[in-house]
Amino acid sequence: MTRFSNKQYGQRAMLAMAIYIVLLLTLLPYARRAEHLSLQILCALLPLVPIFYVIWLMAKRIWLSDELEQRLHLIGLGAATAVVAVFTLVSGFLAVAKVLSLDTAAVILIWVFPLLMLVYAGVRAWAARRYGSDAFCEDDGIPMYLRFLIGAGLLSIVAVWAYFHSADDFDLGLLVGLAAALALGASILLLRRWRSRRSGGTEA
Amino acid sequence: MNNRVRELRAQHGWSQADLAERLDVSRQTVNAIETGKYDPSLPLAFRIAKLFRLSIESIFAPGKE
Repeated sequence: MTRFSNKQYGQRAMLAMAIYIVLLLTLLPYARRAEHLSLQILCALLPLVPIFYVIWLMAKRIWLSDELEQRLHLIGLGAATAVVAVFTLVSGFLAVAKVLSLDTAAVILIWVFPLLMLVYAGVRAWAARRYGSDAFCEDDGIPMYLRFLIGAGLLSIVAVWAYFHSADDFDLGLLVGLAAALALGASILLLRRWRSRRSGGTEA
Repeated sequence: MNNRVRELRAQHGWSQADLAERLDVSRQTVNAIETGKYDPSLPLAFRIAKLFRLSIESIFAPGKE
């Protein structure tokens, strides 16, 4: 099996995540309203298919990585596992103590995977820097600022959709806040890239 | 650990990407080895030595503890 380039991985993962968002927006609202249980289950679980594909992509990528890359993946996944474990334990105990409602606890479960990915990516990037590479400007992948911009765009679409489908204020605020944070991150990375190029750096 | 990987690569006229492809590792790993930020495993050190047709000890030397 040939190694995955960052570009191949990035393109496939982004396409899968775009499909995930489309399925989430179109199917999940019908999950509660569907008449038959089988249809409810189908509508609720079908958006997970692209997520399974992304997990398989990640597994393949890690399996085909070289020794340093595997070390970086291990550091990232180890830190992400620890953070998610603390997050879910705290949420679980608060739900048992009835400080959080069961509905809130269910929503928290939906955020476990995004939190895992976020911490994993951040810690992996930090570890890569310690080994002398700039994970925010990978030379053979989609530039990080572009990934942030695409993420901001997708979240904005979801926020607009949520606005017209009477989402509550918390959900709307969360989506808009996340989109704004990603857009800000993209701006900082773009500025950094521009300054590096201006000073004659080789940043990709 | 100190090493002569950058020097040997330059002698062969290879880029980091060329060497990475020959060793079946990422360019990031070649860069980390050359800058001394990462010490390769024994199998990878053997692959590097075999590629340059040298012994491991003529490429890698213990650094300051």
